[in-house]
Amino acid sequence: MTNDKSQMTNYMENQKPIVHRKDLHWWEMFYIPQIIGGMKITLTQVFRPKFTRQYPEEKWNPPPSFRGRPVLVEQNGVERCVACGLCSRVCPSLAIDVQASETELSKERYPVKFEINMLRCIFCGFCEEVCPEEAIVMSKEFELTFTHQADGIFGKDKLLIPVEKLKDRLEFLRKMR
Amino acid sequence: MELLITVIKIVAVMGVMLGCVAYVVLLERRLSAAIQNRIGPNRVGWQGLLQPIADVVKLIMKEDIVPTKANRFLHDLAPLISIGVAMTTFAIIPFGNRISLFGYDIKLQIADVNIGILYILALTSLGVYGLTLSGWSSNSKYPLLGCIRSSAQMISYELSMGVSIIGIIMMTESLKLDKIVEMQAGWHWNIILQPIGFITFLVASFAETNRLPFDLPEAEPELVAGFHTEYSGMKFGLFYLAEYSNMFVASALITTLYLGGWQVPFVHSLGLSDFWISIVQVFGFFVKIVLMVAFFIIIRWTIPRFRYDQLMNLGWKFMLPIAILNVLITGLVILLI
Amino acid sequence: MVKITIDGKQYEVENNLTIIQAAKQNGIHIPHFCWHPHLSVSGNCRVCLVEVEKMPKLVIACSTQVAEGMVVNTNSERVVQARNAVLEFILINHPLDCPICDEAGECKLQDYAYKYSVGQSRFDFEKVRKPKRVELGPNVMLDTERCIMCSRCIRFCDEVAKKPQLTFTQRGDHVELTTFPGEQLDNPYSMNVIELCPVGALTSRDFRFKARVWDMSSTDTVCVGCARGCNMKMWVRNNEVLRLTPRNNPAVNDYWMCDYGRLNTFKHVNAANRIKAPMVRKDGRLVEVGWDEAIAKVGFELKNFKKNEIAALGSAYSTNEDNYLLTKLMNHLGVKRIDFVPHIRKGEQDDLLIREDKTPNSVGAREVGVRPESAEFGFASILNEIKAGNIKALYVIDDDIAADPVIADALLKLDFLVVHASNENETIKFADVVLASSTYAEKYGTFTNFQGRVQRNKPAISTLEHDRILDGMALSRLDKFGAPNDRWTTGLKRDTRASWRILNSIAAVMGAKWKYNSCEDVFNEIASTISSFKGLSFLKIGTGGAMLNKNKETVTVKS
Repeated sequence: MTNDKSQMTNYMENQKPIVHRKDLHWWEMFYIPQIIGGMKITLTQVFRPKFTRQYPEEKWNPPPSFRGRPVLVEQNGVERCVACGLCSRVCPSLAIDVQASETELSKERYPVKFEINMLRCIFCGFCEEVCPEEAIVMSKEFELTFTHQADGIFGKDKLLIPVEKLKDRLEFLRKMR
Repeated sequence: MELLITVIKIVAVMGVMLGCVAYVVLLERRLSAAIQNRIGPNRVGWQGLLQPIADVVKLIMKEDIVPTKANRFLHDLAPLISIGVAMTTFAIIPFGNRISLFGYDIKLQIADVNIGILYILALTSLGVYGLTLSGWSSNSKYPLLGCIRSSAQMISYELSMGVSIIGIIMMTESLKLDKIVEMQAGWHWNIILQPIGFITFLVASFAETNRLPFDLPEAEPELVAGFHTEYSGMKFGLFYLAEYSNMFVASALITTLYLGGWQVPFVHSLGLSDFWISIVQVFGFFVKIVLMVAFFIIIRWTIPRFRYDQLMNLGWKFMLPIAILNVLITGLVILLI
Repeated sequence: MVKITIDGKQYEVENNLTIIQAAKQNGIHIPHFCWHPHLSVSGNCRVCLVEVEKMPKLVIACSTQVAEGMVVNTNSERVVQARNAVLEFILINHPLDCPICDEAGECKLQDYAYKYSVGQSRFDFEKVRKPKRVELGPNVMLDTERCIMCSRCIRFCDEVAKKPQLTFTQRGDHVELTTFPGEQLDNPYSMNVIELCPVGALTSRDFRFKARVWDMSSTDTVCVGCARGCNMKMWVRNNEVLRLTPRNNPAVNDYWMCDYGRLNTFKHVNAANRIKAPMVRKDGRLVEVGWDEAIAKVGFELKNFKKNEIAALGSAYSTNEDNYLLTKLMNHLGVKRIDFVPHIRKGEQDDLLIREDKTPNSVGAREVGVRPESAEFGFASILNEIKAGNIKALYVIDDDIAADPVIADALLKLDFLVVHASNENETIKFADVVLASSTYAEKYGTFTNFQGRVQRNKPAISTLEHDRILDGMALSRLDKFGAPNDRWTTGLKRDTRASWRILNSIAAVMGAKWKYNSCEDVFNEIASTISSFKGLSFLKIGTGGAMLNKNKETVTVKS
């Protein structure tokens, strides 16, 4: 019985997590020099360069891999989009609403209405990835503010961007394909 | 006339103190930002100097939310106690020697109480009511936990705080604060004469003001915001103000007790008139306070929070014995000399 | 009967079947483009290749008859490879313009390419270009490039519609589907080729580019274009009907549906002239009022007339339930003059589907009691009595009776006319109270077709009465996941009510104690009181319908 118990205690002791505590010198045990050392580190940080960007004055130019708000590519005055609706289908947050219609152009089909609800958009870039026409891409724009829910719904007027302005991203997409 | 002078003194000191406290908040924000390689608030006014005003305006405009089934009266009362205690403590702190103004000889201290130190200890003890009542009246678990912690913490550290002052009282043979300051003329600062007492008092004041590393009553990762979780608007603002007032008062107290108060060494060798000497002394007093406050802030951003058992260990097993030891040593030295 | 083995399992099947039919009967799917259960076998797509033991080469399942002891393998390595090769071959000249193709999402080629093809082509030459926008007929558009030459549409016109209008011309890569010279694809069943087409070569001109199939919900309903009652699916997006497609029911319409039914029976549901709320005539003008006011007005006015001064006209456009409750209300009032206006266009009938009775429910209306006890109470006499001034109040449900000028003249004589109407029409011009009723696309109910088959109708459009989610209506992806403030889920919801529900409210005002909470309650009462409906229930009718009992005995509906 007693044997059992002692074995048990042994076992329990073996199971205890091993914590390595550093043996402190008596000078270190005094702590105050350590605190002063810590304060020295803290104080030296005060004179290090700052990371903060003075935002409205100092703007950031994102790299091509940045996923800003999705925009429609406009080429020769018309959108590349053929209103296939794949972006709308793949959109995990149901932000995209497309209504197709017929056009005389050789592409046959065009979006008579193309709306992205920027309040729903989560900037995942799935729409860009799924687009068979390279017609919707993520831009570098990230400054989006509205005062009404309705303002958050971007129609074709706000979404269409000439292809020249999107060169960075289009090149990046081709490189990464 | 005496009364008028006192009233003017009260108004002046209150005004200066509230202004200072507001800017202590800004100092903390800017300094902490600098320590973290940020810039901090620099938009409102030149270098963010109007930020405190913007903050107060914002807090006043905000909705005052009281939890359902909270004790409304105590809920309102608690921040008033906190701020009241912080303010009244300053009344007996001498911020300068005497000054002659318009033919009057004015003592630069609002009230010269002959049991000064006891008054301070009594009032800081009252401060715990603010936190306890706020936590209890909120009818919410986190504030309650915060307030229980704060009462235990304050009681534990008040002891070592009181005991560490005894050394000074034994040397001064007086409880009056202006006496204690006068004792420290020249370089006879208590920090040199009472180094152990200084350290214990300093640590105890950190605990009394609920500043890091002893900010357990409002430990964010554990208790949301501790005792003031359920406060919003200007009531929250009062707590905030009280915290910084306490810090300011504690700095003033440390300065008075250990750093020579308004005494500025070698000021008499400059050959100034008495009036200007008094001004320099008042200014010196404030410089010392500001340095102490900066010390409080730097400590906050340097040392992590104690665990609760560590806090209690430190208070009862180290601070108190060391403080008592300090009393014994002081007594021995006085006896021998 | 012969015993065959398909994919290692033994089945006993009839001996005149082909392998694909035998497999289909037993729930095994063999991919196919050109084969269709109701068309002759052509065997030209070659995608249904299967391996039959002891046959040296793979055979096409659609034209190989089963034989005793046959062992068929539909998924052996040879078959999988051959299928992939066939799909690669078919895709050589297929334009892959799925993004602009209306068929995308319900395209057999798309599905099979995903399922049975490895998705790679070794063909790196220019694809053959052919005309892309060919108007084959008034309702069908052809994209010649997309055609995979399965010839289903040609066989349909030859065999089912019996109007040979389509054919292939040229050879090899240059094969083109076209109409015979001087012909158009304009037979009354032409649009069935759209569903038949396994790819997007033949598309609807009406539905062209209107919506993607995965954005719509589909509801199983019944066509109201004629007495046939073709089973169909109603496709809805944003609470708007966009197209109708036939649904297979061997007892009624097989896989087919006529162009008239497909194009003309849903347009009024979306029309701008829908009546949005009940209306009451005030100072000579119809003014929109609330339901309570309109119903109270009807109740109040009807009480002013003697029972032989009132007549009611049911409607063969309405459901059995609507007509039943009209009968029941009239019995409650003691009114004996009740009938409906038939809409029969003599000669407009054929052997396939189209019937000359242009209403879906005349049999049902008669069965549930909308019929005069004798000729003296019939429609002709009602009209005469109105002209003579003996009938002063008329109750009309869901029928534009005044479209006939003779009737319109008579309506002028009435003191009080109540009309249930879904759209603005001629009759409401004479009405004193117009009650906004739901169309068939917005209500539950049953219709009885000319064969005596009772078929269920379900709402596909939500109104204030029927909530799409709470009432278990068909949901599209957008309906399921959209929030109430999303614009694509806030299509117009009208304040209309099913006629039976309106009649129920009026009966309550008139002092009847009816307790119907749902259309099913009304139908259950029909089933328990009318002998020809005995034993029927919504569950039993299901999606395929159920026949009325043959041994009828006339029962008068009691209030």
